[in-house]
Amino acid sequence: MNNINESPRVVDVNGLSKVYGSGAIAFEALKKVDFYADAGEFVMISGPSGSGKTTLLSILGCVLRPTAGRVVIFGHDVSTTRENELPSLRLSLIGFVFQGFNLIASLSASENIALVLRLRGWEPKQAQSEAVKLLAEVGIGEKADSLPRDLSGGQRQRVAIARALAGHPPLLLADEPTANLDGQTGLQVTELLKDLAAIHGSTVVVVTHDPRIHNLADRIVQLEDGQIRKESL
Amino acid sequence: MKTQQLSNAAGPIDALATHRPTRILRLRTMLHVGMKMMFYDKLKFAGTLFGVIFAVVLFNQQLGVFLGLLSKNTMFVDNARADLWIVPTSTETLQPGKPVPMSALYEARTTPGVAWAEPLLYGGASISLPKGGSEQVTVIGTKAPYWRGGPWNIVAGSVDVLRNPDVMIFEDSERDKLGGVNLGSVREVNGHRTVVGGFTWGLLPFAPSYSFAEYDYARVLLGTPSDETSFVLVGVGAGANPDSVALAVRKRVPAYDVLTTHTFRNRILRYLLESTGIGFTTATSAMFGLIVGLVIVSLSMFSSVIDNIREFGTLKAIGCGNKDLALMLLVQSAAYGLIGSLIGLALISNIAEAMRSPKLALALPWLTYACTPAVMVLLCGLASLLALSRIRKLEPGMVFR
Ligand SMILES: Nc1ncnc2c1ncn2[C@@H]1O[C@H](COP(=O)(O)OP(=O)(O)OP(=O)(O)O)[C@@H](O)[C@H]1O
Ligand SMILES: [Mg+2]
Repeated sequence: MNNINESPRVVDVNGLSKVYGSGAIAFEALKKVDFYADAGEFVMISGPSGSGKTTLLSILGCVLRPTAGRVVIFGHDVSTTRENELPSLRLSLIGFVFQGFNLIASLSASENIALVLRLRGWEPKQAQSEAVKLLAEVGIGEKADSLPRDLSGGQRQRVAIARALAGHPPLLLADEPTANLDGQTGLQVTELLKDLAAIHGSTVVVVTHDPRIHNLADRIVQLEDGQIRKESL
Repeated sequence: MKTQQLSNAAGPIDALATHRPTRILRLRTMLHVGMKMMFYDKLKFAGTLFGVIFAVVLFNQQLGVFLGLLSKNTMFVDNARADLWIVPTSTETLQPGKPVPMSALYEARTTPGVAWAEPLLYGGASISLPKGGSEQVTVIGTKAPYWRGGPWNIVAGSVDVLRNPDVMIFEDSERDKLGGVNLGSVREVNGHRTVVGGFTWGLLPFAPSYSFAEYDYARVLLGTPSDETSFVLVGVGAGANPDSVALAVRKRVPAYDVLTTHTFRNRILRYLLESTGIGFTTATSAMFGLIVGLVIVSLSMFSSVIDNIREFGTLKAIGCGNKDLALMLLVQSAAYGLIGSLIGLALISNIAEAMRSPKLALALPWLTYACTPAVMVLLCGLASLLALSRIRKLEPGMVFR
């Protein structure tokens, strides 16, 4: 088992394949993909629609199982980890930011964040005050008690980023975090994600179509037709 | 809490160990989220609750009517203040069969363990109305001075008025039917001029209403020979076991059945359940109420999961396991069961109060009030299984789609 202190490689993927369906309708969404992310890196995955970006990110996030290949995250070979151990693995290692924000509609902004902390074992009171602190960090401290439906898209994505940061998981994964935001807001939110991740030393993998945010990346990986086409810095 | 520093300092692998909340904390968290989600969609909440209330009201209403019907048939035996009954053989319910000879009374009185024995007359009579025509009553002849098998729930007069000649006590709720009788009214019962001396409340079996006369007057009214009676009531001495005294009496009157009050009551109940359809009818409608209610609960919990499928997916993605989500659904279903039961029971007790009459009373013993919430929580838990199976199958990967 690797240790983060010995190897800076946070994510290490080798020969990853993913086949959806089987038989006649089988579709190979990822074809022998190699991918890595080092500690503290801000990596973007780009590529045309249907190229397999979300599939790759889902597998990195341990919410989808690969068909073949090795996926090592912080030394855990998650392709062999038992199904019922994945939730706690996700909980402790990974923060998610989704295209559709995916906040719990019935929970206030701060409760959405506190939920993650509580699931990680925080006392409710401490989780709540930490949640309010995180909201202040993402610039919407005054919205702690608002329900998601009363927030703008940019504000919701800020809540989602705060939730992903809650408990400071070492790996942050975001799928098209700017797709539902206007250009200016998208840029601000991505900058925020990058800055906060840097402060906490988290590694970030962002899937995006959005060329306006490409210059924020430490490295960009181009996917095409389920394969890595090129890498650029 | 120092988890956030730890996770980076000691490495995320070690941090895994510190990320296990206690079971109580986990339960509290899922309770918190479960309740928030449950109350958020008010319409769905109301719909699900309606299902529970429907089941509670319909089930308890049927049960109440059923128990009410049963108690109409057993109330006389329950209130006769006797330990043993000597009845004609193959007596299945409280109906006079062939008469019991007075000799049985004397045999009983001299049986060891017997404290007292009294005859009881029970027979139909017709009471003629002032405007012509007649109504049926059930005449009960009860012996002074102990009045075993005598009137209870007396709302006007007292049992001792029966000591006066030609006096009877009738059922208050039947006054209109008996031609508007009042205290002191005079009616002809089986052709004998009879004075109304008092009233009982609620003594309406399925047979014509109970009306009471002193034993000897009842014998005249019913034309019973002096060496016969309908039943013999027996009391056992302090400390004696009714079952063994019953055995001793039976040896002396082998041609008759000697039943403890308990056995007699059970015989009546068995007769009602076996020979009339009421057990089946009631059970069917009660089950219908439960099933319809639970189908509503089950479907609305399921559709609420479908409506919020993305949220459940998100919960899974951020680290809730199937167990956590199952816990959450169970907590929700328990809340539905409890809240629905409380509202349903409040409703049914008001309904019972509103429709309470001597003709039809909902009998709802405290036990049903106590058991309903527990049963509903259990059944709602079952109803949530459909929703749970959907959640179990839910791939957390769907959140990215
Ligand atoms: N559950 C699934 N079952 C079958 N095929 C799937 C499934 N999910 C994705 N696919 C297919 O796999 C391919 C890659 O999908 P994926 O979502 O990873 O692409 P993407 O690069 O994220 O595209 P987009 O930019 O449109 O989000 C697509 O052709 C898609 O139709
Ligand atoms: Mg995608």
